[in-house]
Formats: sequence, C-alpha cells, structure tokens
Amino acid sequence: MVDFALFHRSALAGAKTGSFGAASTGSRIALTALSEGHVLHVLAAHGSGALRGLVAQIGDGGPYAVRAYGPGQWFVVGDAALSAADLSGKAALLASRASIADQSHGRVRIGIGGASVEAVLAKGTAVDLDQANFAIGHSAMTLIGHISALITRTGVESFELMVLRGFAESLWDDLVQMSLEFGVEAKTAD
Amino acid sequence: MASLIACPHCGPRPKEEFTVKGDAAIARPAADAGEDAWYAYVYLRDNPRGRHKEYWHHTSGCRRWLVVERDTVTHVVYAVLDASAQGETA
Ligand SMILES: [Zn+2]
Repeated sequence: MVDFALFHRSALAGAKTGSFGAASTGSRIALTALSEGHVLHVLAAHGSGALRGLVAQIGDGGPYAVRAYGPGQWFVVGDAALSAADLSGKAALLASRASIADQSHGRVRIGIGGASVEAVLAKGTAVDLDQANFAIGHSAMTLIGHISALITRTGVESFELMVLRGFAESLWDDLVQMSLEFGVEAKTAD
Repeated sequence: MASLIACPHCGPRPKEEFTVKGDAAIARPAADAGEDAWYAYVYLRDNPRGRHKEYWHHTSGCRRWLVVERDTVTHVVYAVLDASAQGETA
C-alpha cells in the first residue's frame, strides 16, 4: 500500500485543444483524449498454449478491451481505474498461465476519427489501414513517425491509439499537424 | 528492396521499425572453449557479399527476434522467420 496519496494528473491535461486547420472540408478529424482507466500488459508463460479466451476473461467485456500486441502478448484496457484487489483478482484468473504488468500509469489512449482518418494515419505509419486488411477490432503495434503506438480500429472511420505516457502530448501535436489539411477538433476534457 | 521486412507476426513493415543485430549463423562456443573461440564469437565478423542470415528485432512492432535471410547485394529478402521457430532461441 502507498504511504502517501498519489495525485493523478491526466497526461494530456496541458495538450492543445480547439479547432485547427481547414475550416470545413466535410472530412474533419476529431481527436479525443480518452479515459486513463486501466491498461494491463498480459504476457503468456512459456508453452502455455492458446490463451485468447482466458485473457478475454480479465477484460471489462467492452468490444475492444483485449488488444493483441505480439505472440503471447496482449493489452487489456478499460475506462475504469482498478484497485490492487481488482488486479490480484484478475491475476488469479490467469492461474499462472500468464502474468499481468499494470501499465495504467504508463500508457495513454487517444481516439481519432473522421472520414479522412486513414489518410491522416497513413502519414505516420506504413501499416495498411484499409478496412479489407485492418478490420474493426484489429490492433497493430507500429511507429507513427518516430513514436511507438498501438493502433486499434474501433469503427469504419475511428481508431484508438495507445502510446507511452511521456510521448502522448508529442503524438497529440503530431496528429493535429497531420490533420490540418482536413481540419481537426482536438478535445482533452471528457 | 530490403526496406520492407515481412514480419511473420505483423506483416510487411519498414526497416525503421527494426533493430539489426547481425550474423545469425555463428554458434555460441562452449563455456570452456578457450580465449580464441570466444574472441572470434564476440568480435570477429565477416562482411559477406550475397546471401546472409541476420538477427532482426521487431523493436517497434511485436518485439520478437526474427531471422532475416537476405542478399546484401540485391537486397532481395528470401525468408523471415521467428527466431524461436528454427530453434535459435528458447
Ligand atoms: Zn513483428
């Protein structure tokens, strides 16, 4: 248990907000700072077999709660903050077949959407984001410019990006810049 | 071109997402193999022209170690395997 109260400050609290770029192109981008609830990095134990179903059990049941990262690795994310008891309960469910590293303090989610969202993200990553190749619910860890991010498609024209906390504002500024030709609405408060 | 590496887990990605760690063909000597064998293992490398196997780490992707077989002259990539798939690591 902690000896003193920790004051949680949103990683994007100081990020720039408002309207930027082209005034009305009909394909404006919406950039949204998402809840810093929980981010759990789940790592499979060696030789533990197929775990996807088991990992889904520690999620909050949301449609994109479990995001594949690499072989035997997932991020489980949700809007609710978790207590130490919640975490040990989830660890118990995994029954030593996988372990959890709490990354809630370490990674931040950003929502990005709009008719031109694929064109905007394509400026930063080489991953083919066409829906035929990148279906709703699919995730990919990649570089956006020089910043590592997990991209998850949450809709036909919407994605979530998960980025290391210290890079969140930098990525935010890059995304605003990348969206200027379409116009962008950047919103950090809920 | 070698600038796109087809990661077996992530699909084709630009080389900027990877870290290259060099020759994948050299074998680690036994602990008591002697100074010359260990010196060669740690420091001595060929600079091959042509077909070559290298360790590549998908640093900004799945973070798996891969073995990339490529041609240092033509940049043709012949194969990309997860390093554990061919028994290179546990
Ligand atoms: Zn990969």
